[in-house]
Amino acid sequence: MKIAVMQFPGTNCEHETLVAVKAVGMDGEIFRWNRSAGELSSFDGYFIPGGFSYQDRVRAGAIASKEPVIQALREEAAAGKPIIGICNGFQILVESGLLPGTGKIDMALAQNVMTSGGRIVRRGYYCDWINLRHEVPSKRCSASFLIERGALLKLPIAHGEGNLVTATPGLIQKLNEEKQVVFRYCDSNGRVLNEFPVNVNGSTEGIAGICNPEGNVLGMMPHPERSFFAWQLPGYDPKKQRPDEPGPGRRVFESVKRHIEVNA
Amino acid sequence: MSQRINLRVWLKIPDAEAATVKNTLSRRMGLKDVLSDVKKERLFSIEVDSGDPQEMAKAFAKELVNENKESHKVSINDLTFEEEYIALKVALHIEDGEAISIRERLRSRLGFKNVVDVKKATIWKLYLNGMDVQERAKEIAEGLLINPHKDSYEILGK
Repeated sequence: MKIAVMQFPGTNCEHETLVAVKAVGMDGEIFRWNRSAGELSSFDGYFIPGGFSYQDRVRAGAIASKEPVIQALREEAAAGKPIIGICNGFQILVESGLLPGTGKIDMALAQNVMTSGGRIVRRGYYCDWINLRHEVPSKRCSASFLIERGALLKLPIAHGEGNLVTATPGLIQKLNEEKQVVFRYCDSNGRVLNEFPVNVNGSTEGIAGICNPEGNVLGMMPHPERSFFAWQLPGYDPKKQRPDEPGPGRRVFESVKRHIEVNA
Repeated sequence: MSQRINLRVWLKIPDAEAATVKNTLSRRMGLKDVLSDVKKERLFSIEVDSGDPQEMAKAFAKELVNENKESHKVSINDLTFEEEYIALKVALHIEDGEAISIRERLRSRLGFKNVVDVKKATIWKLYLNGMDVQERAKEIAEGLLINPHKDSYEILGK
């Protein structure tokens, strides 16, 4: 089982993503954007990690989405292989039309706008630990294949453009109805509130991650690879915990592995 | 009567973002034969309700332009461009937080109480050859330079 961790100029989470891939027992390698796109077909799944591909020139994800490797990933997505975009990877998937999956740009991940009490309290780049609620049944989506509906995950975010907006009429309703909204920002009790700091970036309906209609392509703003091990979590106590104990992000990588096994 | 001060700002040093756009359009989007160059400007349109606009423009440029690496040009109310390129104006149609921050900075921190509004945009100068350059510019805008869910564009010149 071999995973390609995509690397574009400006990607900065590829190494920790690869560590996470290998830690759940998958083989993997970093796949540079300028390798022959045809080589991608020999992989079983793909991660597009976070960072600032092409320095976010024009807008986040726009330039990377035009690369031949993304065209090749389109074909792999159609073949049912899992493709997981994290943070900038999510932005690339949206700009390429792979998410929400109609083949055209159906939404934007715009600049963060944090509101509270009816007024804007801050804008732009923000990093913090947030709570996510899993919104769909297990097995609906590749990257949450083993996660039960309603499960809460504590993961970090670090982005300036994660505010999901759309001008497509009825799109959000359709995503809800088709169970394509996979993760929402919530408080520690699982309540979804449209207020900062629970809705951390102003995203429509607190949406933090979506999948395509088939469920094999998923994009999410939070970083599961940065909460893969217990030592990465804010509450880690080296006197009470082993550093390699699992963190909540591990479930995303285990899910991808299981999805590949089941669909092999 | 209010007046609009247009401040066009561009880099004196090579603009990596414009180079990347040119490269992507040429190598990835099949426009190599029709596109000879791409340049970029930032546009600040600042509406004031009093004061000498030329003097105000000088004051705003001191705040918004870094003369060490940027050049600028001022026009009052009208926005005109040279003939040799297509000027494509891209701006957010959703709330522009940066423009709001600039307005607040000019008004509250720098004391320009006569500033009524600030709009910000990017001007892409597309040096296109051949026929149907307007159509090409539209294709470039919709294919790369905007995401219609947050940006809008306008073809201003040629």
